[in-house]
Amino acid sequence: MDSLFDHSTAQKLHGIIPETELNSWESEELLDCLAELSPGQQDLLLQQISVIWPVSHSLCLAFLEAIRPALACLDAEQFAAWVRGILDRYEAQGLQEARRFMVDLDNHFVCTLKGQSGLMLSDIKTRLHLYLRGVAGRPFDLESGDLPGTDTATIFLPRNSTLFSNDATNFLAYKLLASLQWALVRVNLYCHEITDEDALFARLGYPAPDKPASGIFLTRFFQTFARPKLAMAIYHFLQTFRALSFLQKRLPGLMADSRAYFQKIRPQLLADMEDKKLLVKEYTFVLDQLCDNQPLELPAGAFRKNCNPASWWQDISQILVDAAHIHDQWKDGSAEDIATPPLFQGSFLIEEAHARRLARRKKAEQQFIEALSIRIMPSVAKNQDHAQESLGSEQPQQPDSGANISLRLASQQDGQEEKEPVHDRVIRHIRLDDQKIDLDSRLQELGREIMDDLGNLPQLYLDSAAEMAAGRSYEPNFNTPEQEGAALKGASLYDEWDFRRQGFRHNWCHLLEKEIQPSGGTFIATALSEHRGVIKQLKRQFEQMRSHHRFVGRQRDGDDIDLDALIEAVADHKAGLPPSERLFVRQLRDQRDIAALFLVDMSSSTEGWVGKAIKESLLVMAEAMESLGDRYAIYGFSGMRRTRSEVFRVKEMEEPYNDTVQGRIAALSPKDYTRMGPPIRHFTKLLSQVEARVRLLIILTDGKPEDYDDYKGEYAIEDTRHALIEAKNAGIHPFCITIDHQAQDYISHLFGEVNYLFIDDVKGLPRRMPDMYRVLTS
Amino acid sequence: MISGQRIEEHIISREPYYRQQGQELTIALAAYQHQIPLLLKGPTGSGKSRFMQYLAWKLRRPLITVSCHDDLSTSDLVGRYLIRGGETVWLDGPLTLAVRHGGICYLDEIVEARKDTTVVIHPLADDRRELPIEKKGEILSAPPEFMLALSYNPGYQSVVKDLKPSTRQRFVALELSYPSPEIEAEIVQHEAAITREEAERLVRLAEMTRGLEDAGLQEGASTRLLIHAGILMGSGIEPRQACKVTISETLSDDHELVAAIDEMISSLY
Repeated sequence: MDSLFDHSTAQKLHGIIPETELNSWESEELLDCLAELSPGQQDLLLQQISVIWPVSHSLCLAFLEAIRPALACLDAEQFAAWVRGILDRYEAQGLQEARRFMVDLDNHFVCTLKGQSGLMLSDIKTRLHLYLRGVAGRPFDLESGDLPGTDTATIFLPRNSTLFSNDATNFLAYKLLASLQWALVRVNLYCHEITDEDALFARLGYPAPDKPASGIFLTRFFQTFARPKLAMAIYHFLQTFRALSFLQKRLPGLMADSRAYFQKIRPQLLADMEDKKLLVKEYTFVLDQLCDNQPLELPAGAFRKNCNPASWWQDISQILVDAAHIHDQWKDGSAEDIATPPLFQGSFLIEEAHARRLARRKKAEQQFIEALSIRIMPSVAKNQDHAQESLGSEQPQQPDSGANISLRLASQQDGQEEKEPVHDRVIRHIRLDDQKIDLDSRLQELGREIMDDLGNLPQLYLDSAAEMAAGRSYEPNFNTPEQEGAALKGASLYDEWDFRRQGFRHNWCHLLEKEIQPSGGTFIATALSEHRGVIKQLKRQFEQMRSHHRFVGRQRDGDDIDLDALIEAVADHKAGLPPSERLFVRQLRDQRDIAALFLVDMSSSTEGWVGKAIKESLLVMAEAMESLGDRYAIYGFSGMRRTRSEVFRVKEMEEPYNDTVQGRIAALSPKDYTRMGPPIRHFTKLLSQVEARVRLLIILTDGKPEDYDDYKGEYAIEDTRHALIEAKNAGIHPFCITIDHQAQDYISHLFGEVNYLFIDDVKGLPRRMPDMYRVLTS
Repeated sequence: MISGQRIEEHIISREPYYRQQGQELTIALAAYQHQIPLLLKGPTGSGKSRFMQYLAWKLRRPLITVSCHDDLSTSDLVGRYLIRGGETVWLDGPLTLAVRHGGICYLDEIVEARKDTTVVIHPLADDRRELPIEKKGEILSAPPEFMLALSYNPGYQSVVKDLKPSTRQRFVALELSYPSPEIEAEIVQHEAAITREEAERLVRLAEMTRGLEDAGLQEGASTRLLIHAGILMGSGIEPRQACKVTISETLSDDHELVAAIDEMISSLY
């Protein structure tokens, strides 16, 4: 009996984890562990293993080590919630954190169940993220950290808030902390605008430090002081003061509501008062004003004497000078210790912010150069054509060196319209030789980011863009098919657009349609149950779109007389005109007559959560589509090099949605690269053979078109764009859903302003995709 | 008993409030002078219809507005025969009325109308400038004072509602998007009769909601919504409540989005 039992369990287990992936002893241990459990628990565990294993093998092994105590004290539902918690930690903070979470079951999980953990950040993240995005006007990532803080792109907040006993006030605390961190970025906490250090030190009357080649300005700055920590604390105090004043003006409602919060944390500071620590009096003074929601004033004494808050907005270095003067006054005082700042101020992440700044600069540089080169490409190409024509050459053109193109700034500085920010410089035009080229809003924004960061826009960027546009840095090295292996049998051949020659490479790509073997497993059941609420709601909504009954007048026959038409006919008759015979009303069911094809990116970058979210979305979408009745097909695409573009059939247009299709959705897995042109052309051909009033090609992707060979950068973008134009010309509406964070650079160039949807949070995809479809087709 | 619309009813006698955003008035006047029809694009509540009223007032021409819907038939636009006391009477539709009297015919939300209906405007919208009335066997030539104007909102991503290229390529197109913050505050201040500071705060709220357009909100708060909020506040309704009923609840049904917008409101007020 026992051995039989083991045998079937082992089979199930190896259905999820292939035998080859585990050592024999690991496998045995695992089976021993399973054998101790009741059949119900075994199934539960196997189900969860199937969830974790595809995410990370090492996580799964760690999970298996930690399950015993969890199984002992959690019921099935709690167990599933615990596993979700593990996966969230793993996703957000990596394996170590996930391990900690698993091992410390009592503190990390059980207390949550008992409701002792207050409000969890993870529970309110979505709302807070949306709130912050609206308030700040740009997205910030939210992550949990021990203390609040920000590196200017991510805001760190405590994992949970237990300050108050009710969720509403705890949320308010989160809202305040997040808003304050944003305000600190806004007041330029990390002094990213200081360009002339020597002048600053001259103002201070300090000798400028020996400047190392690299290093972070603020760190270097504070090191020149007798008591660097004190100087830093004073500076941080001043900036927090400034950020709070800014919030009082900007978000008065928030600051009024936050009185309760400030009153609650006040005792903590008062405890420090006894020890006569530095800055305690000042913090208490500020906090008292916050508790009464008074407009903030600087504390008396050294601060009021030395500070010039009026000029802080115009000149960020003033605040450093003021901090320095306070430091000089205090440095020889008797008090040694510095007060612990109140929790809301958070930590000062100089290095993180610097790293973020470097990364952003690099990214902005790349994006700017790439976007600018695309912008000037048509003009450059035209110039090259002229040059070629005048030479009378018929040779395929060698990419131009770019040296003979002159790209210069034609900036006009805007007047300082706003009072607060120091820089509001916008580059609206650029000069290419004698031609003035307007920059679109995206390029203007990128240009301004760079200017804010560096103080100017280096000519080097312009030169690089000119070179890129002229094709020097991008020199495709196309191999012949013979080198890459002959075309696969049964492959369809497609042209590819070469933007530099403004023509097609004929029969350049080989595309093969392939089958997907449906997979078993628990993915479908899990996903369906996880999203059952959404699916139910969507089915109802989609149902309404379908049953669109309406009365149509002026029919030859029908259920009732069309009074309007009859009167008109009588009138016409009297007027001597032949009366109409269309005198009836008939109830018609509106035929939607829409055919949609979902094309899913299966490139290797979709590995992990993205791929899972895409699969779940397809499933939710398919469920919803069933109640709508629109015809639809689902295909995946991937490929490597031009000789092996592959599309994978999940569901054909007329194929019924059933277990096999579900199995194929479950079996979608990341493959190779994203060569978008061939599949778009393939499905344009397929869709244009479908009889429908509206034909939709919906592409789900997580990034730019890119292949292993030279299908990259503008070449790839221009080919994809051309394929999409071909689709539009064939009467097909392409639409793109993208998860790429950098998509804004190129996506509107590819699809046009309103023909794409950018998804911020991949977990929202299963909900957003059907919503998009609803809007699109009604 | 049965009487058609009278053209006098459409004359705008008092100057409507309109705050120019840019060159739109100059361009519209030039188009009018050269008898080119006008296409207004822009998000809902951004002042398209108000602009038409202002233009009509400025030109001293009657403005006939037709709100388009998918049951709108050609007869609804052109006109039909009716019976009165045993006699038949021809009744001009709004389009015919405008052509006959040299008025401005404004077809609001034109994409809502069926495409076969919109085709009737084609001969009016090019240099022929004539309206064939089939029933009467009459071809009406538009006087120089007549102007045709359409509006639609390109932000709706629906593929079944789009303007045919053959229709759109007859127009001068003006885009009226949300005004700049200063101008928008001025408009809200004037229309809702509130203080400048209150208006600026509403505009700031609008900008916050417009920042959510990438995050799932179909459209941010329009200038019209801000005016509604301002009016409610002016009549003594508590600001958070006024903004909730006019802005967050009207913008979305999505629980998280509404909650996030409520949080923005409570931050500002």
